Amino acid sequence: MTVHEYPARRRRGWWLRNPRYLAFQLREAGGVVCALYGLILLNMLIQLRDGESAYAAFLNLLRTPPVLYLNVVLFVLVLWHALTWFMLIGKAQPIQFTRQPLPWKVVFGINVLLWIGVSGAVVYLIFGGM
Amino acid sequence: MRSLAWNPGRQTVHADVAAPDEVLLEPVFWSLFSVGGFITAFLLPVTLFLLFFAAPFHLWPGDPAAYATFLAHWKEPLVRLFFFVLIGGSLFHGTHRLKFMLMDAGFKGPAAEALLDLILNGVAIFGSLGALYYALRGWLF
Repeated sequence: MTVHEYPARRRRGWWLRNPRYLAFQLREAGGVVCALYGLILLNMLIQLRDGESAYAAFLNLLRTPPVLYLNVVLFVLVLWHALTWFMLIGKAQPIQFTRQPLPWKVVFGINVLLWIGVSGAVVYLIFGGM
Repeated sequence: MRSLAWNPGRQTVHADVAAPDEVLLEPVFWSLFSVGGFITAFLLPVTLFLLFFAAPFHLWPGDPAAYATFLAHWKEPLVRLFFFVLIGGSLFHGTHRLKFMLMDAGFKGPAAEALLDLILNGVAIFGSLGALYYALRGWLF
């Protein structure tokens, strides 16, 4: 018996037709941007090894207006990726601590509070406070 | 014979079809992707803000990324561990997403996927090893 496969086909630009699809694609793009920042941070460590002038040149390049504004856009994508991750934890993996599964908004709120706490810890433990 | 009626869980099992390929590495890369998702969501935004946006937009007293400031913190093992974990996690997370975005965009088939795996996993692995090298350099050797 032959088994036919009918691959699901989507129209070009399907993700522009609905705000939810667009939000999803922006979330996916934010995930890819994470890898880009991984490479940028790795390059920062390389410039740090190469000394003060190399490091300062790298930092100045990132802070000149066109690169800075592009950097802001990429940063917003990373923020969106993080926020949507906190939104989906309670939907995709409802860990049941209670008799009834917690509503996703409660899980989202807990994660955002945790996120703020962890960010504060990073400020003090990694960057030496304000 | 396969029943035409929709009958989930009761499909006929065929003994003569080829067994699916053994999956060995995918769970490893998926786990690193998943852990990387947690790491990037919790740690990446605050780090990027402090390094790249706090000082240029005057949102912070001082510049956390200034050479002398950052170099002083870089001497601490915890800071080195932090950046190794952050870079490795973001690389494994992002390259995995990029692979599936490109597959969705039509870059499909065994050869295309093998090429994507080679390049993207290579970037994640060598990038993480690079971060590990710089994290240990000047501390252990």
